[in-house]
Amino acid sequence: MTGRVRFALLAPLLVIGLTSPALAQKPVKIGVLTPLSPPGDAAAGQFIARGAKMGADDVNARGGVLGGRKIELVVEDDSGTPEKGAAGFRKLATQDQAVAVVGQFHSSVMTAVQALAEQFKVPVFSTQASARQITEQHLTYTFRTHVIDPDRCQMWTRWVKERGFKRAALITENTDYGVGLVEETKKAFASMYPGGELKTIIFDRAVVDLTPQLLEIKNWKPDVLLNGGIGTPMYLITKQAYDIGLHPAVPMLISYDAPSRPEYWKTLGEKGTWASFIVYYHPTMKLTARGEAFRKKYMAEFKEDPIYGALNGYAQVQLLADALNAAKSDKSDDLVKALLAGKFEGWNGTISFTRGEGPYWQQWTPPMLVTQYTRTEMPFTEVKIVYPSELKTGDWMPAPKR
Amino acid sequence: MLLSQYVLSGVVIGVIYSLMALGITFIYSIMKMINWGMGEFYMIGSYVQYALIVSLFGPRQWYLALPVAMAAVFLLGLVVQRLLLRPMFVGGIERRDEYATVITIALMVLFRNLAIVLGGPNQYAPPDYARPVTLGTLPISGNRFVALISTLVLLGLFYLVIKRTWVGRALRGAAQNRVGIQTAGIDVLRLDMLAFGVGVALAAAAGALLAPDFLVYPENGAISTFKGFEIIVIGGLGSILGSIVGGVLLGVIEALGSVFVSSAYKDLYGFLLLIALLVFRPTGLFGERERSV
Repeated sequence: MTGRVRFALLAPLLVIGLTSPALAQKPVKIGVLTPLSPPGDAAAGQFIARGAKMGADDVNARGGVLGGRKIELVVEDDSGTPEKGAAGFRKLATQDQAVAVVGQFHSSVMTAVQALAEQFKVPVFSTQASARQITEQHLTYTFRTHVIDPDRCQMWTRWVKERGFKRAALITENTDYGVGLVEETKKAFASMYPGGELKTIIFDRAVVDLTPQLLEIKNWKPDVLLNGGIGTPMYLITKQAYDIGLHPAVPMLISYDAPSRPEYWKTLGEKGTWASFIVYYHPTMKLTARGEAFRKKYMAEFKEDPIYGALNGYAQVQLLADALNAAKSDKSDDLVKALLAGKFEGWNGTISFTRGEGPYWQQWTPPMLVTQYTRTEMPFTEVKIVYPSELKTGDWMPAPKR
Repeated sequence: MLLSQYVLSGVVIGVIYSLMALGITFIYSIMKMINWGMGEFYMIGSYVQYALIVSLFGPRQWYLALPVAMAAVFLLGLVVQRLLLRPMFVGGIERRDEYATVITIALMVLFRNLAIVLGGPNQYAPPDYARPVTLGTLPISGNRFVALISTLVLLGLFYLVIKRTWVGRALRGAAQNRVGIQTAGIDVLRLDMLAFGVGVALAAAAGALLAPDFLVYPENGAISTFKGFEIIVIGGLGSILGSIVGGVLLGVIEALGSVFVSSAYKDLYGFLLLIALLVFRPTGLFGERERSV
């Protein structure tokens, strides 16, 4: 076959290839930057990535975005450290050309990558990073669909007050999250519970022996222990507080929803019983059609109820797909405009981003509930909501004496 | 009450950490190199212990899992020494210290990442070895009490082997003069292998004993390595007695600082002691100035 004949045969194919929308359109890349290895809370990152992937699959099954372009997720591990987070974000923004990045869990990492988001003009979403300053800086490319710490601390201060606990001890780690918890709880006690006494201890996140700190708390004789550890430190506090006889004699409130994960009982066994903990999702909650569809699909695939991080990761990818379609563009400025102008179906309500005062800037907040385990190996689906009172499904119970 | 609790708590954890320090200083005494990957052998020890308890021995027979975990890490240490560290003693390498540093840091990264790949990034906890107990005024986890007793037994065994056996005498000889010991017909390279294996097995014992309290995860060896190095600088590099006394002293200093200042800065007090020693007694409490002929 001569070269001329071969060209004549191949040319039509080449023309079809270049003009067919299905073949020519590039996928739209969304970055998932989340902790997938220690010292980050790797379990949280795994759930977030799982939810985000299911979100992308759903969008693609519906035909993609922007007239048929597929969503492609690029997952990066930030290990819960600002330096790895910054490197990961840089890669997502420059090499992968991600249009937005979701999955941020650790406040310290989120704080580090925000500046890069502004520099590269790539929207970044906090999936579970809650430090106040994240949205308080009023940055153009920072969005959050998670609670903020002032709200968390005000809620647990109300809970402490309403339970009649006079002396509360807060032990937390030396991260943006931990330091923020201390500052916000001090403010909340000063304004909402002036009669209450608060003791705070901040420890280095790498420390594994917390016995001296917990002994100091025990000897202070608190009425309630606020556990502000994230990931492994949360487990270390719980275990070691039990061993020195602090918990469950003294009730403990864990600052986030880690106990709802299956690993909780594997790690703590009976030492995890009687812990109260803050959640943002409860299996009895009424979800949106989108949230309900996700829950069913998740349960069918993983044989367990979804975890909040997965729900939020899923919802963020979905709302980004909606915003891209509304913007009719994958350019970051168009995307930001669409995010600010639109209303998006989340997992339990309509998400919208307004530019409010203080930390309520491009911020959407899910509900916060206090739940409690009252027996060892209790499934999360069976825990009762014990606070706030208007939503409660059961009464908070003190632990029986050991 | 609080003071006695803190001091007891400091002594307990100091004794357990001295096992780690002993491993570091023992390897240094014989091979004249620092093993920067010591924490990863601690980590491997904790993983092996967890795997053995969960899949083979069950929670009640942790004491059977402990020697097996130590033996497994001992064998791993022999392999690492034979393949990666021995060449620096036989190949006429000029920058031996740098070679050892690079190799052991590379091992640290390798083992940590292997742990993530093989075991996943999450933490595990073996079932408790014993119920919580009260030691004097100190309420303490049963695991830590078991770890304390086991550490004392291991330290005693180590002392007996070093002082009373032929191998122990050979090791002490190698620690004093590597060239001299060869004139007595002893294969010093074989002693190196043995010393490295024993040193990392001691770290593995610490990891296995502390696994229920400090959990099992890829980075769990970091803080114990950090404490181990602190202890050997306080006690004196190369001194076995120094590693034990240094461990207890570090624990007590941290405890006293926690009582009289704040427990939030617990790790700072050991550093202050370390800096003071470096200023006034740079060789540590039981260390000696290096003599060269």
